[in-house]
Amino acid sequence: MISVKNLSHSYNNDGILAINNISFDVAKGETFGFLGPSGSGKSTTQGILTGLLKQQTGKVSVAGYDTMKVQNERFNKIGVSFEQSNVYSKLTARENLKFYAKLFDVPTRDPDELIRLVGLEGKEKVRAGEFSKGMKHRLTFARSMINNPELWFLDEPTTGLDPTIAATIKDIIRERTASGTTCFLTTHNMYIADELCDRVAFIIDGEIVLIDTPKKLKLQYGQKLAEIEYFKDGKLITETLKTIDNADKSRIADIIKNYDVQTMHTKEATLEEIFIQVTGRGLA
Amino acid sequence: MKLLSNYIKEMKIAARGFYFYIEIVIAVIIVSILLFAISEESVSREKEFLFYEAEQELYDYIMDPYFKDGRLVRKESVGFKVKAMDIEVVDQETGEIISHHFDENTIAAETIEQYDTKTGKLDKTIYKVNSYEDMLHLSYSEQSFGAVVKYELDENYKIIDSYKYYIQGYETERFMNILYVLYNENPEVLKEYSDKQNVRVLGDMEKLNNRESMVPIFLTFLGSIMGIVIVVAYLFLDKNERVIKSFAVTPASINSYLFSKIMVILTTVTISSVIITIPVMGTKPDYLQLLLFLYMSTFAMSAIGLFLSSFFDNMTNAFGALFGVVLILLLPMFSYFIPSFDPLWLRFFPTYSMLQGYKTILLGGIELRYVLLYSFIYLIGGIIIFALANVRLRKTLTV
Repeated sequence: MISVKNLSHSYNNDGILAINNISFDVAKGETFGFLGPSGSGKSTTQGILTGLLKQQTGKVSVAGYDTMKVQNERFNKIGVSFEQSNVYSKLTARENLKFYAKLFDVPTRDPDELIRLVGLEGKEKVRAGEFSKGMKHRLTFARSMINNPELWFLDEPTTGLDPTIAATIKDIIRERTASGTTCFLTTHNMYIADELCDRVAFIIDGEIVLIDTPKKLKLQYGQKLAEIEYFKDGKLITETLKTIDNADKSRIADIIKNYDVQTMHTKEATLEEIFIQVTGRGLA
Repeated sequence: MKLLSNYIKEMKIAARGFYFYIEIVIAVIIVSILLFAISEESVSREKEFLFYEAEQELYDYIMDPYFKDGRLVRKESVGFKVKAMDIEVVDQETGEIISHHFDENTIAAETIEQYDTKTGKLDKTIYKVNSYEDMLHLSYSEQSFGAVVKYELDENYKIIDSYKYYIQGYETERFMNILYVLYNENPEVLKEYSDKQNVRVLGDMEKLNNRESMVPIFLTFLGSIMGIVIVVAYLFLDKNERVIKSFAVTPASINSYLFSKIMVILTTVTISSVIITIPVMGTKPDYLQLLLFLYMSTFAMSAIGLFLSSFFDNMTNAFGALFGVVLILLLPMFSYFIPSFDPLWLRFFPTYSMLQGYKTILLGGIELRYVLLYSFIYLIGGIIIFALANVRLRKTLTV
């Protein structure tokens, strides 16, 4: 669904590259996470893929269309949800979605159904300018589904949302991807990437340093650990021990035998920890 | 269809914002001023201070016919309080400088109004004083034209008249030449000046009245100049809300997005122009011509606005350039009010042809060719500028 070969981009054509010779493919029906800290080149890549930025080099195909050529009809297959909400504040929620529905040449979804889906029922006739930041974000998210996109670009889809709403949004994403929609998810939130993505790419300083499935990454870079909390001389002690190391295994047995164990659970490495391990940088 | 959807959306947004109403409110204020504060006929404020150096009988003999046919009307005498002043009078013929000192005084003057017998319109007010010194003191005190008019009889009892003008010193050479030939009966002088005259045909003698002549100014201002400012404001409002990005990822073209903005401007100017024109002009103009000219010129000017906006990120940054362009475009209004100020370079300003075009249409469309020619020029120019704006805005709007 997406094919990127040797893509580079410089904003001022001054040799300073926002993205540097990146290549990757996203298969139809796949949820692909594009992960990296602010300024790593995520938005630049998404900008080129969605046609908001002019492609300078490399070869990019999106939904079967060459992005070097201006072909507006490709947007019939694409939906984009932006990180910063962008809806007409003087139009109501329904008017916003109705307007966008008329811009597509393919059958579109019922605006009221989408409004209900993102939890804004009852707000159909309220102007978006009166919405909270989270509500605007949900409306932007709903709009990205108006044309039943085959390829869905999501930029930080749960940022700024309360946990309940974020869970609803994640469910919607899961539901759509399960029905075959390809999803290109840009985020710096490793937890949502871990939950939703089939594969993830780590991008830093404009270069992709790693692409794989979260499971394989955890196996490759993660360590099998157990975290034990126990009382020793009246004090609560916490120890993290490797479950594959003989000395640590003996230590675990020793703690269980001699102390009052409060909690004990195995612990996998998170994507964030793997990112730090691979890139030497955090995601902030 | 997408253009129509865009237009409906833009109209909803415009109707819920205040820019839309600003223009309509301004139009209502303008038409109120035109109807209630500006008279149809202009009131002449021109005044002259004259001293007649003539025997009373001779003066009466010459002037009585004018009073009888109503060209001159005697009004109440007035007294002018004038301050003390020193004046130097330069004789243009001899170069001689004569100094005068005048004390503070109250000068009595007979008031005579001069009317145009054809139109019945007041031409000027003449203040007849009793001495050369009073004329000089008053004309300089009031900074108005003064003259000594001398009537005498020669040995054959033929009336000899002579005129000596006293002007302030800032008048143009053209004006002085007109005074020189106005009452000059010397054939050599007249020939010399008539040979130098650049005769311009001013067209049909039909004129707009004082109130009507203001309409082209407001149509140009509201229809075109405000069009530039408001289209830029609409564009930057969208940029602030980042909605252009979401539009850019739909199959609709940026062309239709930009043109829908211009359509909103065209709708607004139609409303504001109708508000101003119908109450003042009634059924006199050809409204089809007026709308054609209005749409073409507004389209061109709105395209200029879009093109300008492509160089800036926000309204604040664009404001300086917008202000400059609007001021430049206002320059032809000087030529409109002061026909003697009509340099060639001014004719290249789009607002120059707009003023002339509206004037022509309001007169009843006697110069249809002019209206059609300039409508075509605006259309072609507008399309070119719109295309340039489109290319530039594609690159800058979504960044």
